[in-house]
Amino acid sequence: MRILSVSTATSNLSVALNDNENIIVEKNEVDQRNHSEHLDPMIQEILVNNQLELKDIDRFAVAIGPGSYTGLRIGITTVKMFSSILNKEVVGVSTLKALAKSVSDKATLIIAGLDARNDNYFAGGYIINENGKLENVIADGHYHIDVLLDAIKEYLGKSDFQKVIFVGNGFNKQDKRITDSGFDYSYGTDEQNIVHAGLIGQLALDEKTIDPDKLLPRYLRRTQAEVDWHKKTGKPFGPDSDYVEEV
Amino acid sequence: MNEKKDVRILAYESSCDETSTAVIKNGREIESLIVATQIKSHQRFGGVVPEVASRHHIEVISQITKEALAEANTSWDDIDAIAVTYGPGLVGALLIGVSAAKAASMATGIPLIGVDHIMGHIMAAQLKDEIEYPAIALQVSGGHTEIVLLKSSTDFVIIGDTRDDAAGEAYDKIGRVLGVNYPAGKTIDKWAHEGKDTFDFPRAMMEDDDYDFSFSGLKSAFINTCHHADQIHEKLNKYDLAASFQAAVIDVLAHKTIRAIKEYQPKTFIMGGGVAANLGLRERMSAEIAKLPKDKQPKVILPDLKLCGDNAAMIGAAAYNLYNEGKFADLTLNADPSLELPYASSMLN
Ligand SMILES: [Zn+2]
Repeated sequence: MRILSVSTATSNLSVALNDNENIIVEKNEVDQRNHSEHLDPMIQEILVNNQLELKDIDRFAVAIGPGSYTGLRIGITTVKMFSSILNKEVVGVSTLKALAKSVSDKATLIIAGLDARNDNYFAGGYIINENGKLENVIADGHYHIDVLLDAIKEYLGKSDFQKVIFVGNGFNKQDKRITDSGFDYSYGTDEQNIVHAGLIGQLALDEKTIDPDKLLPRYLRRTQAEVDWHKKTGKPFGPDSDYVEEV
Repeated sequence: MNEKKDVRILAYESSCDETSTAVIKNGREIESLIVATQIKSHQRFGGVVPEVASRHHIEVISQITKEALAEANTSWDDIDAIAVTYGPGLVGALLIGVSAAKAASMATGIPLIGVDHIMGHIMAAQLKDEIEYPAIALQVSGGHTEIVLLKSSTDFVIIGDTRDDAAGEAYDKIGRVLGVNYPAGKTIDKWAHEGKDTFDFPRAMMEDDDYDFSFSGLKSAFINTCHHADQIHEKLNKYDLAASFQAAVIDVLAHKTIRAIKEYQPKTFIMGGGVAANLGLRERMSAEIAKLPKDKQPKVILPDLKLCGDNAAMIGAAAYNLYNEGKFADLTLNADPSLELPYASSMLN
């Protein structure tokens, strides 16, 4: 199965072509903020170099969140349209699971996270289970660092894991707090700390396909405006579809 | 023999709070138009929240693409170009349309056209009647108040612009003072028809010899009048307030536009933008033009009310003109939130 994968979730733009487990090619542009301009040409280049067209792709995969809201929407809109128009399969893969996939040590609790500012992180905890698959043991969510560290301690307390590895970005500035937590830990390498589309492609094999119309970012956070409105009015949020009507 | 082939354009518009797709034939005929509006959502906040808008756009974009094709009874095979608004507007919102249009272009091999949102608003007129050039357009919306000279169907220059608030923005702001739900234009227009211009608000820059506007002074005068009345527990007639405000806005718009028409002698006069749906403004502009000597009267095209707000049909209309000139975009097309039509050289210092 040919899989084309994309991540626009972070400042690293990543596109890969996989043949089942095998990563044929992965391209990355680290620290560029022009995903909108570069994504399609990057996809085009990979296709041309491999003498393929979009219609030769069997499945599209994309980092579905968390991540930069605007960034996520660029990649998701793109693969959503590809799969919708070409009638191809599409899957969304957790950005955090993709980060965790770069770690292969089965004895380590993997904490994947992205800096969400003010000591907050979009983060999740993963382990590699007996089948060699990543399993989410601390749910992907929006955590204050102290809450996340408590969740890690709690998980370590009830499992056999002794070590923790932090992958993603922004964790090293919490070094003091992490050290104070008293568990054995390390940080990922630069390579492990960026989201790789090739790894998304590998994870995509096990993900359930989804109707492209329903492929949406997993922001893991409501907008500030909605939170404020909810506080002020006490009204429930209601499904988003309630707010959009065709006229 | 040699009959010209029909040109069908699938267009996207997502620059603010409507997600819209349309199929337009030959730049003139609406074969389908889908508009998914988010007004209900933004009413919770009293105005458009950009992040919320972007979230809604992505929810519907692929669905309304299929709907536009289905309603037009067509398929990708019959589409000659894919058009999209790439600016001005909210960057996150624009990016949904731009990303979708580029992906659609890549997936189908159909060429891509990037359209200026303001050019689109003005070209809503082309869906109603044939535009003869040169033309003058009065473009009035929540974000823009401009007098635009159309030298041809794709060569537009701004000859007058607002120095501060756009007219539509002023409507929304005074709407808030009057307790009118966002967007306020329609209600204030209605109230204005029930009231009289009794407050005599300022007509800023009306007699200046350029074509520029300023509405912040009017907005402040209005708000001060209301606050002052509030302090002395005086009740003001909301219909008269609305009528006075609207009269001040329309006086300035009409006065300056008529002067531009006298100077540039266009063959067509067009109104575009959300405020072009304002009945008071439509009536007034038509009446003022009717007062000109017969041989100096341009043909007047006022777009259909439902095409004054943001929609993809107008983008498809504008894209057709660009298509005819081979003005295509490539896959590096990006959203440009502060895109501006060029200014006439005489306006530059
Ligand atoms: Zn508009």
